[in-house]
Amino acid sequence: MPVIIGFEGSANKIGIGIVRDGEVLSNPRRTYVTPPGQGFLPSDTARHHRSCVLAVLQEALHEAGLKPQDIDAVAFTKGPGMGAPLVTVAIVARTVAQLWGKPLLGVNHCVGHIEMGRLVTGAQNPTVLYVSGGNTQVIAYSEHRYRIFGETIDIAVGNCLDRFARVLKISNDPSPGYNIEQMAKKGQKLVELPYTVKGMDVSFSGILSHIEEVAHKMLSAGECTPEDLCFSLQETLFAMLVEITERAMAHTGSQEALIVGGVGCNERLQQMMEIMCQERGAKLFATDERFCIDNGAMIAQAGWEMFRSGQITSLEDSWITQRYRTDEVEVTWRD
Amino acid sequence: MFLMAASGVSELSVPFPSSSLARIALGSLAPDPEPRKGGISKELSVTEDTLHVRWRADEARILRVSVSSFLEHLSLVVETMDLFGPPVA
Repeated sequence: MPVIIGFEGSANKIGIGIVRDGEVLSNPRRTYVTPPGQGFLPSDTARHHRSCVLAVLQEALHEAGLKPQDIDAVAFTKGPGMGAPLVTVAIVARTVAQLWGKPLLGVNHCVGHIEMGRLVTGAQNPTVLYVSGGNTQVIAYSEHRYRIFGETIDIAVGNCLDRFARVLKISNDPSPGYNIEQMAKKGQKLVELPYTVKGMDVSFSGILSHIEEVAHKMLSAGECTPEDLCFSLQETLFAMLVEITERAMAHTGSQEALIVGGVGCNERLQQMMEIMCQERGAKLFATDERFCIDNGAMIAQAGWEMFRSGQITSLEDSWITQRYRTDEVEVTWRD
Repeated sequence: MFLMAASGVSELSVPFPSSSLARIALGSLAPDPEPRKGGISKELSVTEDTLHVRWRADEARILRVSVSSFLEHLSLVVETMDLFGPPVA
């Protein structure tokens, strides 16, 4: 019964989770929240992680009721993500792995989301919509790889939402996306925005530029409310995501869809995906904010799969990488 | 101890309580390459209980960034050792 500890810190969340054979024993997390109108920068985020990583590690062990000798391997996010925060967390993972005499497991962050989604929902072979602040991909498994069927050609959907929140000075606490979602519920009017699906891919940067350009003009002219803009942006972005996910499902003949990543806890996105799935006779799987949003347990779970299939990462190969595509990983743990 | 020579080579020696801790620090700090593409290189090594770092940099500005980030990482390693050590075996 391998026990794996997972370290995650590729963006503004630092999380450490412990997983034993599919059971999450602990999963504490801290979020670096910036003032309204500001995003999180790599060096400030790394400083945040440095200041709390050891406290989170103590919390993870304490909550699980485990001692270091009970751990079988140490998993950490190898990439993709922001360099400085990734290095900070990797350094602590390497140090404890050596102190405790345990092997290291360098995990692809995107694969972590997929494996956690599969574990929590029980989805067998889903078409995956992975949507977060840094990534937007439609993924399906085939022949030992998570293959990318469609993706953003510029910024991630969550980045588009986060940056729109800065335009309206919407609070980043607990997250800009959550606050946009709450405001969108009060939206009455659909403001027309560009809709940019390009084959299997999507583009969000033009939509962001457009809304940045028109938001303050429309608001000061009284043509719409901030709530209308939140509503319109969500409807447009999510419709695009549903369209490419549906096309991927038609192609693979898949009867399961799984939403993972931080934007995946948006209930309006889940609702739109649910409607599409029902129309196709497919089943939708989604998780709540504990496991959708970056966390340590997802890294532990992907690490558990790697460990079980005999993949470990040597110290020399444990360098972090800001770019690490989902389809670079050989999925040795699935048939 | 930090030494800076005119040749663009700078050296730092960090003593540890034991050779095994010095080797762990090396193992934690060595894998990541310098984020900057050119203009700087950094070599780490251990002799007995001392971690040695040797920088070669074209400009003081680039060296300063690398040294200060190295020191932050080093202090994180030492704090981790204090809280989660001593090493087994």
